[in-house]
Amino acid sequence: MSARIISFLIIIIVVAALPWLLTTPYWRGILVLCAMNVLLALSLNLVIGYTGQLNLGQSAFFGIGAYVSTILVKTYGWNFWLASLAAVGAAGLLGLALAAFAVRLRGHYLAIASLGFAVITYQVLINWENVTQGVRGIYGILPPVGSTSALFYLVAGIAVLVYVLLDNLVRSPIGDTLRAIREDEISAASLGINGAIWKAFAFGLGAAIAGLAGCFYPGFVGTLVPDAFNIVESFTMMAMVIVGGMGTMIGPVIGAVVLTFLPELLRGFGELRLMIYGLALMLVVLFMPGGIVQAWMALKARIS
Amino acid sequence: MKLVFRLAILAIVCAAFGAQAQDRVIRIGVLMPISGPGSYFGVMGKEGIDLALDQLKGSVSGYRLQVQYEDSACSPLQATNTVKRVLDQLKPHIVIGEECSDASLAIAPILEQAKVVQLNAGSVTMKLTESGYKYVFRIFPNGEQQGLPLGRNAYTKLGARTAVLLYEKTNAGVDSADGFEKHFVAAGGKILARIDFGRDVNDFTAIATRIAALGKVDVLPTFGLEGQQVRLSQALAQARVVKGGGGSAVQMGSIWLPYGYDQKAGAAAEGYIRIVQFDPTEKRKIVQDFVKAFRAKYGAERVPTHINAHAYDTMLLVAEAVRRGATDSESIRDRFSRFRNVEVTTGKISFGPNGQTTDLSVIHFIETQKDLSWKGLNW
Amino acid sequence: MNDLLALVVQQSVNGVYLGCLYVMVALGLTLIYGVLNQINFAHADFVTVGAFAAFFTATRFATKVLGLPDTGAYLLSMVAALGVGALLGLAVNAAVFAPLRRGDELRPLIATIGVSVLIENGQLALFGPIPYQFDSPFSRETIRIGRIFFSAQSVLVVAVSAAAIAALYAFMRFTFLGKALRAVAQDRETAGLMGINPNLVIALTIIIASALAGMAGALLGPVVVLTPFTGASLIVKAFAIVIIGGFGNVQGTIIAGILVGIIEAFTVQYLGSGLIDLVVFVLLLVMLVLRPTGLIAERKEENV
Repeated sequence: MSARIISFLIIIIVVAALPWLLTTPYWRGILVLCAMNVLLALSLNLVIGYTGQLNLGQSAFFGIGAYVSTILVKTYGWNFWLASLAAVGAAGLLGLALAAFAVRLRGHYLAIASLGFAVITYQVLINWENVTQGVRGIYGILPPVGSTSALFYLVAGIAVLVYVLLDNLVRSPIGDTLRAIREDEISAASLGINGAIWKAFAFGLGAAIAGLAGCFYPGFVGTLVPDAFNIVESFTMMAMVIVGGMGTMIGPVIGAVVLTFLPELLRGFGELRLMIYGLALMLVVLFMPGGIVQAWMALKARIS
Repeated sequence: MKLVFRLAILAIVCAAFGAQAQDRVIRIGVLMPISGPGSYFGVMGKEGIDLALDQLKGSVSGYRLQVQYEDSACSPLQATNTVKRVLDQLKPHIVIGEECSDASLAIAPILEQAKVVQLNAGSVTMKLTESGYKYVFRIFPNGEQQGLPLGRNAYTKLGARTAVLLYEKTNAGVDSADGFEKHFVAAGGKILARIDFGRDVNDFTAIATRIAALGKVDVLPTFGLEGQQVRLSQALAQARVVKGGGGSAVQMGSIWLPYGYDQKAGAAAEGYIRIVQFDPTEKRKIVQDFVKAFRAKYGAERVPTHINAHAYDTMLLVAEAVRRGATDSESIRDRFSRFRNVEVTTGKISFGPNGQTTDLSVIHFIETQKDLSWKGLNW
Repeated sequence: MNDLLALVVQQSVNGVYLGCLYVMVALGLTLIYGVLNQINFAHADFVTVGAFAAFFTATRFATKVLGLPDTGAYLLSMVAALGVGALLGLAVNAAVFAPLRRGDELRPLIATIGVSVLIENGQLALFGPIPYQFDSPFSRETIRIGRIFFSAQSVLVVAVSAAAIAALYAFMRFTFLGKALRAVAQDRETAGLMGINPNLVIALTIIIASALAGMAGALLGPVVVLTPFTGASLIVKAFAIVIIGGFGNVQGTIIAGILVGIIEAFTVQYLGSGLIDLVVFVLLLVMLVLRPTGLIAERKEENV
């Protein structure tokens, strides 16, 4: 059996075992959060890491997924799974809209445009009170499955599926195309690659995955407020991708795990918690630019 | 032989006492926003609770008070995570929290299911005590309890006929504004405009200009945090809208504004009428003792705010429940529901059937004078 | 003066004042981008630090220790804020921008996000969350001309920003260092070949830009609600202004800043302050579609 399949099986076993190791509702809740963050980090990595498009607005798609699915269920009585499907579609469409900007903009321009996108989405969620309830919030949201460990298996299962999907994608010619766009868009064009279509693809897919993560968020918390999707969330997602290792498949997973558990483990530090977080972010970017994955590779190279 | 026997008995008795002593603990979880902008509430809340713990010397009626603080950062996600954490790790008999309405609402169903009492001392939202939760108790006046006296008295006592609502765009701000509107309009008043502002708005000149152009505005009910309210008042005075600037409109506020606001706003605060629940100048012994102790611990130039006082009161209530024989969550809930006129710094506590405090006798109106002192109004 | 005219003029005056405040914040940001192609996400936090420095200098040091009258104390506090800003610039350049000189665009952005988190929470630990009441002798004075009013602080802000811009312009045009700065901004490699030390020039630019930010803090302190999080409320709008005006373009930033201020004032008047961010960012996206290089187009050719 190839190394890939073995590591895949190991991952499955670890994921399956986690709720047995962490049995309290609190830690199981953190596991669910971690699984959602893995999805988010993977989605962002597709856009930033593999396609090289600077996207600071991923929180918008996360929020659309959460709100569309919740509103369809609560106000219109839809079934959760159909509502989620619609929410994923909505998020994907919004991603395509952002891609329209990406076609014409590069670098920091795109970064700020995507930020603007996220701010606008956030403001719409706050102000369109008839539909979203705005700052009053939506309460009493039930998760699609009863227990926390069941929810974890659901979200983690989806995360594993998405991982496999994306892994195959980046190893395929599509992945080469995306990487070509990342490295040098103009040369890629001279090779006949239609940058616009592939950027749309990356943004759309990335947005859809983020929207998918969003569908499970309100049921997990029980409460939905717009503030959960302000632009700080985009930065947290980006931090996960970068700390883990941008442009690799396992990097975002590691980043999501580390940055989900680290704040919880730092809770004992009280006020210093966020300062340590900021400092850690700085240090990783300065000294481990390829993230944890690169540091691990460097370590392996040193040892062997 | 007899000595050994006696020693053995002594050892057994000591062990028994020791075991019992270990059992005599009241475990209290405290969810406060300690990080982020919400820390405005959490830091002050913690001060109040710490002071109470100091004074109680950490125990009541032989029961040790074990407190675990958690940072819920004013957000439903953090609040639900930390409440689960505290339920796992501490297995508390009671949880005090949160300050922000969103977070308080988020943890209510979880605590309800865990059958742990939730004592809230900072949220305004009506939903907290109107959703049928049996374990929620709140000593903070809700949107209706503040809105009714403000709205009605604006019409009847102040003679106001037109109002412009100014409120921060949060759950609490919206609920408070709704409360005022409902009762002001019911009395016959007219709302000329509802103007909201985000917590990140710094400059209020444009808003003040807009209000100045609305024509005759009698009263300006304002619901926001002190930092923004100071700037708002200054802008309104500058635009000659409010009394403090030579205009005729009267600003009205809720209990959110702490003592010391008037000094910060300066001349603009003249004529400001608001309801006050915690008044550090109040002559009641419990209030004066609290202020003295607060200053001794946190500095002589500090004056406690209602956030300090409310948090302090939660511990007083827990202590009182324990004194009346409560030893776990169910008995705390029982004692709370039977509280009648239990005196604390923010008044007298009697919980209604839905867990909301019903005695509002301490809430009174004050008007800021030209010299920035408070004058009590007998409304 | 009839009512509508008075209202329009007053809101315009409010808007210009607000705009000048934003320009003071955005100016440094655009300078750094012009010479370094980097965004300093912590820039608005430098403004907050400057404001705190000014506050403590004016209310504690200058009045109590030096015994200066209020006005003198406030002016001294502006100088202090300038100095503190410069020091911060020096620090962030040494810690983040210089080490990350070679590398992708994203890393310094993330690193400065870490710096921002660090500064905000450091201030929280030092100063606490309760707003500080910072009033200057100018902010307490109102000037009235007919039915129009504005505070003396606004006159000060306009005067100081005009002076700063004029000084900057003179510096860039007439001094050797200033010309070196422009050379590095245009083409770093060639400038290096001509004997200019780009690293030194860049360091100097960051110091100047951060000093401007610090001083902006001293000017803004008496206007805003002063808490450790004041920067967070300003940074995103500052980005929008820099983009609308054109990255690296000082004239564009000035025009954009004032434009945004005026738009904000009129949005509050006719739509409601809850919609400010929405309007500004929709404008941003429109600008990016129609004129991506900004209001005053900069001729920057991309070398293939």
